Amino acid sequence: MVEAFAVASGKGGTGKTTGTLALGMALAEEYDVTVVDADTGMANLLFHAGLADVETTLHDVLVEGGAPVAEAAYERFGMRVVPCGTSLSGLEAADPAELREVVATLAADADVLLLDSPATLSSKSAVLPVVLADRIVVVLQPTIPAISDGLKVQEYALSYGSEIAGTLFNRVQGDVTAVRERVDRYFEGPLLATIPESDAARAARSAGEPLLAHAPESAAATAYREAAAALDPRDGDSDDVAERFRTAVIPDPP
Amino acid sequence: MIPDGELLRARVVTDLAAPLEDALDRRLDGYAVLAPRETLLSDDDDRGVITFETGVPALAYHAGTDRGGPPALADIGAGPHRLELYDLDPAHLTVPHTTDELRVPPGMPAERLAGASDLADRTRRVADEPETIDDGAVAAFLDDEDAIEDIRETARAEAERRAEQWGFEDAIED
Repeated sequence: MVEAFAVASGKGGTGKTTGTLALGMALAEEYDVTVVDADTGMANLLFHAGLADVETTLHDVLVEGGAPVAEAAYERFGMRVVPCGTSLSGLEAADPAELREVVATLAADADVLLLDSPATLSSKSAVLPVVLADRIVVVLQPTIPAISDGLKVQEYALSYGSEIAGTLFNRVQGDVTAVRERVDRYFEGPLLATIPESDAARAARSAGEPLLAHAPESAAATAYREAAAALDPRDGDSDDVAERFRTAVIPDPP
Repeated sequence: MIPDGELLRARVVTDLAAPLEDALDRRLDGYAVLAPRETLLSDDDDRGVITFETGVPALAYHAGTDRGGPPALADIGAGPHRLELYDLDPAHLTVPHTTDELRVPPGMPAERLAGASDLADRTRRVADEPETIDDGAVAAFLDDEDAIEDIRETARAEAERRAEQWGFEDAIED
């Protein structure tokens, strides 16, 4: 089985990468989970997963005649993690369209694929994860810009035939009941969890560890586990998913 | 795209530092329309607009050149200007303010249009103040169903237009 989720927000700073790894670790207790840094233009995942010094990254796989994806996949924290590199030359050489083949390969050995998506909808490669995923986790903050951008992500996803797995209210301070109830009217799928703003998340990032490894008892970690439990991954056929990724109509590189 | 606001002042100014500082001090949500002083005798299109988000310049656009962002500031150019300053409910600015191509860095209008580096610094400090999350404003925004529908429709149309550009047509749901 495999189901591909894109974790997406139209806006930066919503804690999307922290959330992707937290959902991944929580789901890994029950499933084989692979997390991919699909934000090829702004590598971030590697810093959160203690992979800042690794030699081979997704960028080395996405070049013509590049490394096999297995060399850029690292077993960490009970998951398989595929980070992007930070070098600009690596990024320039990488072809985001190759991501499709990489994801197809990874789908063969996973129950759950989590794609950490770019915090923008401004380019083809940024939108690609939203097009390829089965379902989208929309990460919101209770602010007008974050909710506006989340609505845009949802409309893109629905336009391209991807479903909405639910919304995550992230980095929440105070009582947001009134906002949450109203947001629920406009977004498909359930509200997966409300994650409180957390010093533990910042500390985890500094330590190069996912939140669930660094502070498993924190309120934020508990809320992420609740969100993961609500995701309920589906039993998709691995071959079908791999085939869908391979045959997806892919744009020219930017 | 931006509805008419409430006119706060209309006058000819030789130095834009004062009105920019005034907008900052009152944490104005709204916009300024700037035209060359002689515009009443010349081209009606020769006007620029700068929007404000809690007093901080957000967007710049020039109607005559159809350019946005920093280039629009160059088009607005040095004064004297005829200035009109308007107050507007920020809910009407939410959608325009998501247009990245029109955005200007917070301190840039003060620097470019008024040569006021102190004011530019002050504007940047205000812009860097942590975003206070006002649940009431967010709830009010979410109660405006027309504005929400506008965001959704615009995004849907954009997604469909780009699907053609980007070769995603096969993914589009009928």
